[in-house]
Amino acid sequence: MSEQKKSRFKKERKTGVFDYTLLFIVLFLLCFGLVMLYSVSSYEANLKFGDSAYYLKKQLFATIFGIVVMVGVTFVNYHLWDHMPFIAYFASLGLIFLVLTPLGYEANGAKRWIKVGFSLQPAEVAKVGMIIFFAAWVSRFGKRIQSLKSTLFTIGLAIPVALSILLITENLSSAIIIFCIVLMMIFVATPNYKEYFLIGAVLIGIAAIVVLLVSKGILPEELSYRFSRINAWLNPEKYASTTGFQTLQSLYAIGSGDIFGKGLGQSMQKLGFIPEAQNDMIFSIICEELGLFGATAIILMFILMIWRFLIIANNASDEFGALLVVGVMAHISIQVILNIAVVTNAIPNTGITLPFISYGGSSIVFLLAEIGLVLSVSRGIRLEN
Amino acid sequence: MKNRKPEITLSKQQNDKRFSMRMQKKLAVLFALILVAFLTLSVRLFAINRDNGEKYKKQVLSQQEYDSVTLIAKRGDILDKNGSKLAVSQKVYNVILDAKKLNSSDGEFLEPTLQAIYSTGISFLYTKEELRDFIRQNPSSQYRVIAKKQSFDVTSPLMDMLNNPAEYPDIKGIWLEDNYQRQYPYNSLACDVVGFVQGDNEGIYGLEEYYNDSLNGTNGREYGYLNDDENLERTIKPAQDGNTIVTSLDVNIQSIVEKHILAFNEQYKDAFREGNGSSNTGVIVMNPNTGEVLAMASYPVFDLNNPRDTNGLKVEMPQMTVKDANDPDDPEAEENAETQETQETEETPQTEEGAENAGTATMMVSPMTDPSLMGEAYEEAFEQAKMEALNALWKNFCINSTYEPGSTMKPFTMACGLEEGLLTGNENYRCEGVLNVGGHEIHCSNRLGHGDLTFSGALENSCNVAFMKIGATIGRSTFMKYNKIFNFGLKTNIDLAGESRTDTLVFDESVMTPTDLAVGSFGQGFNTTMIQMITGFCSLINGGYYYQPHLVTKILNSEGATIRAVEPRILKQTISAETSEKIRELCVNVVALGTGRSARPAGYMIGGKTGTAEKLPRGNGNYLVSFIGFAPADDPQIVIYTVIDEPNAKEQASAKFATVLTRDILTEVLPYLNVFQTEELSEEEAAELAEKQLLFSNGSTLEEETEEETPEAEENAEGEAAENADTEEEDKEEETERKIQFDPETGYAIDPTTGDLLDPETGRPIDSNVSDLADVTTSPITFVDEE
Repeated sequence: MSEQKKSRFKKERKTGVFDYTLLFIVLFLLCFGLVMLYSVSSYEANLKFGDSAYYLKKQLFATIFGIVVMVGVTFVNYHLWDHMPFIAYFASLGLIFLVLTPLGYEANGAKRWIKVGFSLQPAEVAKVGMIIFFAAWVSRFGKRIQSLKSTLFTIGLAIPVALSILLITENLSSAIIIFCIVLMMIFVATPNYKEYFLIGAVLIGIAAIVVLLVSKGILPEELSYRFSRINAWLNPEKYASTTGFQTLQSLYAIGSGDIFGKGLGQSMQKLGFIPEAQNDMIFSIICEELGLFGATAIILMFILMIWRFLIIANNASDEFGALLVVGVMAHISIQVILNIAVVTNAIPNTGITLPFISYGGSSIVFLLAEIGLVLSVSRGIRLEN
Repeated sequence: MKNRKPEITLSKQQNDKRFSMRMQKKLAVLFALILVAFLTLSVRLFAINRDNGEKYKKQVLSQQEYDSVTLIAKRGDILDKNGSKLAVSQKVYNVILDAKKLNSSDGEFLEPTLQAIYSTGISFLYTKEELRDFIRQNPSSQYRVIAKKQSFDVTSPLMDMLNNPAEYPDIKGIWLEDNYQRQYPYNSLACDVVGFVQGDNEGIYGLEEYYNDSLNGTNGREYGYLNDDENLERTIKPAQDGNTIVTSLDVNIQSIVEKHILAFNEQYKDAFREGNGSSNTGVIVMNPNTGEVLAMASYPVFDLNNPRDTNGLKVEMPQMTVKDANDPDDPEAEENAETQETQETEETPQTEEGAENAGTATMMVSPMTDPSLMGEAYEEAFEQAKMEALNALWKNFCINSTYEPGSTMKPFTMACGLEEGLLTGNENYRCEGVLNVGGHEIHCSNRLGHGDLTFSGALENSCNVAFMKIGATIGRSTFMKYNKIFNFGLKTNIDLAGESRTDTLVFDESVMTPTDLAVGSFGQGFNTTMIQMITGFCSLINGGYYYQPHLVTKILNSEGATIRAVEPRILKQTISAETSEKIRELCVNVVALGTGRSARPAGYMIGGKTGTAEKLPRGNGNYLVSFIGFAPADDPQIVIYTVIDEPNAKEQASAKFATVLTRDILTEVLPYLNVFQTEELSEEEAAELAEKQLLFSNGSTLEEETEEETPEAEENAEGEAAENADTEEEDKEEETERKIQFDPETGYAIDPTTGDLLDPETGRPIDSNVSDLADVTTSPITFVDEE
């Protein structure tokens, strides 16, 4: 975009810019998510709890709470967060370690939650914390981190948090997401390209080697359940009754959806075949019920949302605000991409939820808080004369 | 920020901090990369649909079928003629454990759930500890039956908990599965007739097996299907409950019959040899005018609610010697054997106690068998022996056992001769106690001979010699023709499972010898079943109509509507009404004047015929005694057939065992059926009857009924009774007066042909092992006898 165009664009906007487009997209996704959640979870909820709206009610409560948080954050001047990068950093780290205390508790076989009146997933906090920390860090030392060495050092700052999420809460997907968020933020903040493609190539290379070793049986899958997931990814039919079950059922759901799907509420795969379909696998039920058309529509909504982030970042009144938006954009786009990739078996199965749609209280509240940040940044956009 | 003035926001410092063009460019690159990723995934979605869509669609549909739920149908009831329930299906619940769900949330539900379910009073298959171990070892098990067939009362507290997840949030991984439990409210009553079920309502023996399909109904299903719009719809095909069958059995008559059978067997228990009062006792009561079975019982019985209970069952182990397992030369082995024998005896009292409780027989374990020494082989042999004993117990003696009928055959033989005009009923016979047929000496039951007998007298005294002569008169082919007419050798096709075939156990006309004909004429040499005999006998006395014997009179659907009514079915006319009339008279004479006297219940006149069949091998002193009769004499309402196999007595060869049992049963059954007394009661009889009523009925209404006497009957009966008494005595004197030689030392009579010592009163050999048929060896199946 040229400078001229940009000015014209800005002129069209009123003073005290507030991105209603983004707000509308978010509200649409939330409502759509609740409808889909009810469709997907009612059967299992009825079986398990005798109340088909069990999950819906909990999610509705979390959503309303999340909207309140979002509105609150929107009207807080986002520069407030600029003053507390270290608080954000160490709070994130500290909460993760709280999982080890009696406050931590386990569900579905993983110790990822802490209970402080309500249950909270420290990884979700860490994602916001990292976005704030790196936005503040980069905007402060912008010029100085452009050498390769200091770039690597900056990226390295994310490692303690990502590592503790991986080791303490055994949550590989959150660790990857955090690392990717940081990588994307630094990528935007620094002028280089080559190095990042190199890093990307190295990471892909390592992953390929691991996959190769596992598939050849050199790294026995007894070593880690993740290795068995790799095998299930490569050959889901062979592991149809074990690790490949969820993925395969998800593929069946997608494949049986056709162009326009079976119709809302008509999924068969949600009837006990896709375990906990309201979590990671909700997108496959969307495909089954609404078909490729519905799935594409949802993807377009996310693209629209990310495009709004792009606009807001480009027009943010300062670098900190812009980087905040870039962080949120990175977060949401990575999660959507990885979630759909898992559902379509493009990558090995790992627990990643679909933002705004999947079931999960912590996730929805912190996502809405992030949207609050973005809206707050958009409110700070001033018109140029 | 909003309030800041534009000048400040446009300051250089602020401007430096703005998102630079370079960064915007990189952000655009990032956005492009993200778009590429989204595009790739969209293509992937499209590819999945294009490449595998059809396959996955089918896969989804085929999976869906597994989701259907079976709705279990209720098995129909079995009722007696008055609607009393002999067998019912009660709704029960299995408790299922889903360990995977129970283990969820870090096992926080485990203890509260265990605590809760064990406080409900349900009897679980495992203790709490065992269950905990199981859950630990099988954390992913999702279906484990932990309590079976619990009644509603017992499970209702658990149901309440499961229906209130809000109140009991900690109870997880437990659910209830509906089922039906077959119950027999009368326990062992009519056990052989009713049969029982095993596994998933598979009927075994009796009505349960014969009517299994009709009783079972059809399980329903809850399933999903696709409608025209390819939308999934769930639908329920309800279970079709099974049909109820109404039988002709009368619980009251059945109870009376079983009570007396039990009393008889208790009385003779361990009387001569150790064990039951008889090796088997069977009684059938039938309506001769319809072929409906009113009662059918045998002994010993078993509890239908617990058919596999071996307590009190006599399990005879095959002989296994300790030497098989030990070196015979090793003295220690013998010592061991001895010690173990002692242990064995110490253990036995326990089993004996159980046996007494069951009131049947004692568990016999061979002293030479020892579990610790024999190990698996012993276990196996014991299990096999146990199964054999159980199978024998479950079989219905009345339709399953084949035996030589003995003299109860004689009315059939006579009917054959009369119907064909070969006999007139005016014949006279002379009995010398023995007859030589085809070179074989065949004895009469009275070895001294009955002397001169009229046609009726031949039957009254059950004279074998006379019947051998009758048999010769009738001839082989006519005799066999009538055997076929009376259905001997063919199944009656009564509606019970397990009726025996007798087609290979009857004479083959083409190879039949005169000796076979001779013994066949008095019911030896061929086999029948009880149901064949009584069905044939009904036709002898009801005017010649051979009815299809049956138990089920009506089949009702689950709503109680009749879907099939079984009308009495005449299969054929066996003899003419005139011959039937004649046979009835002859049979009445048997009870009035002859061997059946002791079968007559006080106050009634009945007709019938006794039987004392000598069992194979001959000369072992084993007999099957029986009585077949009808009551009342002038208008038969019921036919009763009583068979006692090997009564537990030194002298088995007395039909008295059967006649007395019959009399006891009839004394109670006839008043119950509202049959009026026709005979005057002598003082003795009246006293005896009063005594019996006390003994039989515990304050039931039967007592009052029997005491009612019609003055008419008294008058009519007076003369007759006196007459009967006279004739009886005269007959006896006549018999014993004839040329008898007495053994000077013992005072016993001497058999003129063999020299055996005889009882002068009855003419029976003193040695109970002397066979009347000792000389008969020619035909493939051989023997004889009768009182």
